[in-house]
Amino acid sequence: MRAFLVLTLILALPGPAAQPRPAAPATGCVDCHLALDDARLTPPAKAFSDDIHARSGFTCVFCHGGDAAAQDQELAHDVRKGFRGRIPPRDVPEVCGRCHADVGLMKQFNPSLRVDQLSEYRSSGHGHALAKGDSSVAQCASCHGAHGVLPVKDSRSAVSPARVAQTCNRCHGDAVLMGPHKLPSDVYSKYTRSVHFKAREKGDLSAPSCNSCHGNHGAIPPEVGSVANVCGTCHAVFAEQFKLSPHWEAFKEMGLPGCVTCHENHEIVEPTEEFLGTGPSGKCSSCHEEGSPGAKAAAGMREDLLGLAAGTRAARATIRRAAEAGMEVSRATFDLGRADDALVRARADVHLLRPSAVKEIASSGLTIARSARTAGLKALAERDYRRRGLFLSLGLIVLAVAALVLKIRDIDRRPRHS
Amino acid sequence: MSGGTGLSSAEPEPPLRRPNAALGWLRDRLGWDNLTHLAAKKEVPIHRYTAFYYLGGMALFLFLVQVATGILLLLYYRPSASEAFESVQYIMAEVPFGWLIRSIHSWGANLFVGIVLLHMASVFFLKAYRAPREMTWITGALLLFIALGFGFSGYLLPWNELSFFATRVGTDVPAQIPWIGPLLSRILRGGSDVTGATLSRFYGIHVAILPAITTLLLGLHLLLVQKHGMSVPLSVRRDEDRGALRFFPDFLLRDMVGWLVAVGILAALSALLPWELGKKADPFASAPSGIRPEWYFLSMFQALKYLPAKIAGIPGETLGVFLFGLLAFVVAALPLLDPGASRERPSPWWDRLATLVLVAALALTVLALLPAGGAGR
Amino acid sequence: MPILSAMKASEVAAPDDTSRRRWIRGLLGTSLGATIVSFLYPVLRYLVPPITSEPSQSEVELDVKASQIPPNTARIVPFAGKAVLLLRTASGELRALTATCTHLACTVQYRLERSDIWCACHNGTYDLNGTNVSGPPPRPLTKLDVNVRGDRIVIRRA
Repeated sequence: MRAFLVLTLILALPGPAAQPRPAAPATGCVDCHLALDDARLTPPAKAFSDDIHARSGFTCVFCHGGDAAAQDQELAHDVRKGFRGRIPPRDVPEVCGRCHADVGLMKQFNPSLRVDQLSEYRSSGHGHALAKGDSSVAQCASCHGAHGVLPVKDSRSAVSPARVAQTCNRCHGDAVLMGPHKLPSDVYSKYTRSVHFKAREKGDLSAPSCNSCHGNHGAIPPEVGSVANVCGTCHAVFAEQFKLSPHWEAFKEMGLPGCVTCHENHEIVEPTEEFLGTGPSGKCSSCHEEGSPGAKAAAGMREDLLGLAAGTRAARATIRRAAEAGMEVSRATFDLGRADDALVRARADVHLLRPSAVKEIASSGLTIARSARTAGLKALAERDYRRRGLFLSLGLIVLAVAALVLKIRDIDRRPRHS
Repeated sequence: MSGGTGLSSAEPEPPLRRPNAALGWLRDRLGWDNLTHLAAKKEVPIHRYTAFYYLGGMALFLFLVQVATGILLLLYYRPSASEAFESVQYIMAEVPFGWLIRSIHSWGANLFVGIVLLHMASVFFLKAYRAPREMTWITGALLLFIALGFGFSGYLLPWNELSFFATRVGTDVPAQIPWIGPLLSRILRGGSDVTGATLSRFYGIHVAILPAITTLLLGLHLLLVQKHGMSVPLSVRRDEDRGALRFFPDFLLRDMVGWLVAVGILAALSALLPWELGKKADPFASAPSGIRPEWYFLSMFQALKYLPAKIAGIPGETLGVFLFGLLAFVVAALPLLDPGASRERPSPWWDRLATLVLVAALALTVLALLPAGGAGR
Repeated sequence: MPILSAMKASEVAAPDDTSRRRWIRGLLGTSLGATIVSFLYPVLRYLVPPITSEPSQSEVELDVKASQIPPNTARIVPFAGKAVLLLRTASGELRALTATCTHLACTVQYRLERSDIWCACHNGTYDLNGTNVSGPPPRPLTKLDVNVRGDRIVIRRA
């Protein structure tokens, strides 16, 4: 008797992976669909076991309606119990939004989750198209999946930070899908050539992906006038300088998209001094003619930047030679760091489009670079002093050896004595 | 020595005018007449191979250079994992002529081991280990192992990347000895891995333990050399006796030429190719490619690589270590093992064996230095 | 020396030989002496310690004095070739942090209006303990030990 009671108690205890659940959900839907072994009906049942909703106690009926406890197909699929089968794309956002836009409900499960995804979606390019009846655009299930939904933080999720761009590319890289919408399909491949993509590949996840600039659920390209603000969330100084420059008003008037005008939106490559001016990679020639004041200003800034970069390079090479020879160059290295800082500042101040500002910083940077190089040359001179000292002592050694040899020969010449 | 017979007779003679007066004073109290008479009689036989007699004195001179530069380095070096690298950097960059002292010490170590090996090879081939000089050879072999110990322990002291990983690899080797191997490795390392404890231990070994042992062994070795004099090779004995050179001053002056040339080479190397320091050791970083020990260990290092993983059930590395141990024993006990040594007879098979070993060691060293799949680990 | 005197006793050479020998001996003595001096000079210089007795990679006394840094200001100072941000908080405490941003190695700066540390390159911010609080920086700035002796500031690795 006692053994039986103990056994019952043990069996009644919650198992190791116990989660708080509402009234025990029946698994009639999953059991039946798994048993069907049908190419269309079985995969959702299989995938659902990994779903975040399943883990929180939500079952098929919460979205699809019907009777979860019924063992009979007709009873399970009872329309009077709300069964609706496959949810058409046009209705998906509302179905998801029934919970995810309900503040009170979401608070019971994850208070830190946002609840504005539905309203954001409705403002997005996808949302607008869906409202107009286009079912080919993305809705919740397109990116999050329908039955194997994982939290965004899970690295297997299609919308985890590392994988978002590839998920967008599923549609936005397909020319057949993009054609009717008059959208390009090479955006992802352009993005892979950008500095942001390359930074992400090196592990810097702070670099933007599609959602950083376009938004997540309210995905829509920023308007022409807001491009600088969007880029400016990270590139704050550049945006500030740009807004103080003559280009700010001019671009607004001409309807040009701010930063994107010179730097592109997806294929954002490493900018070089060659962007400035009317040369082959020059960005200015689209508006400024060769020889115009604008072109001259650009050329002037370019020369200042190149001069500073060359000066820092020369200093760095000298200091490295001295360091390799074992000389003490920490002060010179520090000064060189200040010259590097000046170059960074100068490159930012280019966006002010005021040549005098750039020249000021560039020349102060050049002064520092030159003094760093002088320090490096001094260190090399010290190394040469050592070599001269060496030759001096080698000379003395040769002299001493010669004297020894003479002495030896002299002794040899003398008559030997025992 | 002329001079007053008593204190009252003359004023004290100014020492500068008669230098022999000062020396005489010392001689009366220290009594070195025996030594000077012996020194005056010390001779070096002249024959075809006389040049090889210089090697021993050269080795001694280079050892003294190491002691002197080592003591100077001791004044600034700090033997802890957090300060060792910085202290060597300090010596190289901020202490006046620190670069010179340190580079001489590092280059000198290599030159010293090289000369010791040449000295040993020449003593071997000239059969100078024949009776009654067996003990000289045995102490010399032990001194060779100690020299290698100096090199190995000293290499870690700058606590830079290369030396850290080379030491880790090097202290893995004794662990292959059955039964006592892991304990031996633990004792060497001061723990289960190479850490600051290893540095402290190697420092103690390098500046105290090995110098103490060397003092005794070297003292004995030199004493025996003075006692037995220079050995003459068997082949020369049969030739005409070309006489002998006085050690003082003839041979010594020639010795000094060699020593000055050695100093010149060391100074040139230090100024033109200063010994590099590299990066500070990071025990948690992965080993950079191309880790290898100093050149005098390369042949053993490379040989271990060629041994298969298992030979007749015994791990290959264990067999390798055992073979090295056997080789060391044979080298040390050579005069007792070579029958020709005690009978004044040539031992051509020993010569051939030694030549084979030397050629193999040279070949292995060259192989280890090749970039492709050589010494990189 | 007994050996030299023994040699002298055996000299039965002609006068020009003697002067030649004296000349050789003089040359030998001078050249050996000069060589020894050229060895002793570096050794003696070596024995005299440099002005900075600690390796500059571990500890540095700054040129700037404690009284030159008012509260809520900061400046960049050199330490082992790198830039370090030396700041004095509003409450008067001196702190030193590495000034290299942990994102892409730009030099950070102190912002008095917000009493925080800012990197202009990508708008990263750190608090006054060096903790990365917003923006791209993935790791905090490293704190260094600051010690004040009178008016002298000494920075050491923590």
